[in-house]
Amino acid sequence: MRISIRHQLSTTPLPGSPNAVLHLLLTPQSGPTQTVESWSVEMAGIGNAGRFTDAYGNSVHLVNQRPPEGELVVTVEGVVTTVDRHGVFGRVGPGPVPALFKRVTPLTKAPVSLYGRFRGSKDSRIDVLHALMARVGEVLHSPTAVIQNQSQTQSGQSQSQSQGGPTAAEGEEAPPDLPRPPATDYAHAFIGAARALDIPARYITGYLVGDEDDPAAFHAWAEAYDEALGWVGFDAMLGLCPTDRHVRLAVGLDGLSAQPLRAVPAGDGPKEIGVSVEVVS
Amino acid sequence: MGDTTPFDEMHNADGSVREPYRALAQWLDEQPDKALTLMQSDAEAIFRKLGITFAVYGSEEGTEKVIPFDVIPRIISAMEWRKLSKGIEQRVRALNAFLYDIYHRQEILKAGRIPEKLILQNSAFCPEMMGLEPARGVYAHIIGTDIVRVGPDEFYVLEDNLRTPSGVSYMLEDREAMMQLAPDLFSRIKVAPVDNYPENLRRTLESVAPANVSGAPTIAVLTPGIYNSAYFEHSFLADQMGAQLCEGPDLFVDGGKVYMRTTTGPERVDVIYRRIDDDYIDPLTFRPDSMLGVPGLFDAYRAGNVTLVNAPGTGIADDKAVYTYVPEIIEFYLGEKALLNNVPTYNCVDEEERNWVLANIGDLVVKEVHGSGGYGMMVGPTSTKAQHAEFKRKIEARPDNYIVQPTLALSTCPTYVNAGIAPRHVDLRPYVLMGEEVRITPGGLTRVALKKGSLVVNSSQGGGTKDTWVLED
Repeated sequence: MRISIRHQLSTTPLPGSPNAVLHLLLTPQSGPTQTVESWSVEMAGIGNAGRFTDAYGNSVHLVNQRPPEGELVVTVEGVVTTVDRHGVFGRVGPGPVPALFKRVTPLTKAPVSLYGRFRGSKDSRIDVLHALMARVGEVLHSPTAVIQNQSQTQSGQSQSQSQGGPTAAEGEEAPPDLPRPPATDYAHAFIGAARALDIPARYITGYLVGDEDDPAAFHAWAEAYDEALGWVGFDAMLGLCPTDRHVRLAVGLDGLSAQPLRAVPAGDGPKEIGVSVEVVS
Repeated sequence: MGDTTPFDEMHNADGSVREPYRALAQWLDEQPDKALTLMQSDAEAIFRKLGITFAVYGSEEGTEKVIPFDVIPRIISAMEWRKLSKGIEQRVRALNAFLYDIYHRQEILKAGRIPEKLILQNSAFCPEMMGLEPARGVYAHIIGTDIVRVGPDEFYVLEDNLRTPSGVSYMLEDREAMMQLAPDLFSRIKVAPVDNYPENLRRTLESVAPANVSGAPTIAVLTPGIYNSAYFEHSFLADQMGAQLCEGPDLFVDGGKVYMRTTTGPERVDVIYRRIDDDYIDPLTFRPDSMLGVPGLFDAYRAGNVTLVNAPGTGIADDKAVYTYVPEIIEFYLGEKALLNNVPTYNCVDEEERNWVLANIGDLVVKEVHGSGGYGMMVGPTSTKAQHAEFKRKIEARPDNYIVQPTLALSTCPTYVNAGIAPRHVDLRPYVLMGEEVRITPGGLTRVALKKGSLVVNSSQGGGTKDTWVLED
């Protein structure tokens, strides 16, 4: 699938800040599931940016503005061709040893009710992971979700704003037609549960081609490690392994380490201006 | 080790003077009455003049104190030192190899020699360091290894201190003071010099500058500021090296590189000797509320445009829970047996060991896993029953937060106290520099527990210091 993406974010440093520094995780890489045909990251100061590869193998821009003038807008656009590999990313690519992704972070603490039933399972790891994906979907879809608003209570201010998708309502009695929790909650719940089962699992940010049920969005899902297949994607929100509708952007331990835009001074946090993800021929 | 008589570094069991101390003993005999009293008050005046002070956290009587100095030096023979320094070098090489491995392929975990969880779930482990190639492969460039002696030939490493060890300025100033107080002693006894430490520090820092630096690298010392207990040392070392002393706001990142503000405009910085804890060095990557750090500094480091000394994440190698594996670490990376002993350490998570610990707490030393500076610890034999009970409760509530060791009979050195010369317990912190080579300053900082019978040598807990002499052959 040939996909055209345009994504805009912004941040507004506090007035009077002498220097604004931004860390951008907004550059996708070609790999087994996708080929990046073209990609650009535009913002004031980008020409002078520091470029490097971070601990998770992501391509990072370190941009600064001295002094920043008002709102800083980042525009990324490009074309990526994807293939459907039934979620199998494999072992390739830069990045740390898979075991690193067993580290439990504050955002990836899952309740035992989510994964307890899979402990000591005789099934293959892949079967366990599929069952876990279904379990996470079932639990988070249910009106009395056990992991309510986990990301919002524990993460930094930018978390929910940057992940897109509808936000879970707070409150006791949830009506049945309540919007689903954001993608980041599904990813964190799946990752936390997988790690609790001693399976390496990592957080993936990316773009999703929309359809009737799921609008195009900046999206998040998980990848878990299988000795035979390597990294395999699990999108518990959609209840499927990533397809050619998913474009991978960045990898992290959790939504915090894979944030697309971090800034100091933070001001009132990064804002989503808009994202369009379209299939082109 | 528990209940034996402590080793007296000056005297043999029969009261005769041990060889390394003979010349000193003779000199002490020759001193007229009151000479030491005079020396002691002169010493105090010297230290006040040098401005060597330290801050005691939580103390109400002003923030600055002069650290007590004892005028009787501690002496180590050339042969003893050779053995010690070889053991220290082995340890720091192995720990640096361990750090490289942990932040790359993690072979030691794959081999099952250290439990994976102990590293991966450890708060001192820094995932952001994965895959980074530090200059010369060195993570910990400045190390202060805490050592205690319990016998003529028996040394134990208490802690490895690979984060931002302090106290080296006391080592230097103690020597400076001693040379002023008793110049005649130095003409009688050949003592290995320590005053080349700042120059060696500078050479070490220069040797780990990023590869793309041309000409002499620019070095900055990054301090949290005047309210830090070791601020004197930060400013002293910067001054001695001819480097700039900076606080976070003096530095900034531009175009992925680090600069300091100067009166003549921005100047590029290549190596930063940072005396700020990992969590605070960069609000963009670590604690977002840090006001002490430099936003973007860690990214500039990752981009290869600046060297941070020590590297972030070195704390995983001196974590108290990892400490018990150091002999294993030495064997794994160097294929050698450890030359220096580890103190046997009990793990309270294991129920059987914990029960034994709780039953014998009066004989043991309890330390918080992430504590330092003598805070959050309890020495069983010198604590009250109430304190024993308090620590029992603490261990039961959070067994993984404590390690427990036998009470070591720390060696004693003659120390000048109100009653005259009396033995007091001491430890030793030699300072190691690792860049293009390993340089260990002969001696180090001797800390002395001035209270009779006390085993806690920390300056925050009533400890003092002594000049430490390594004899030349």
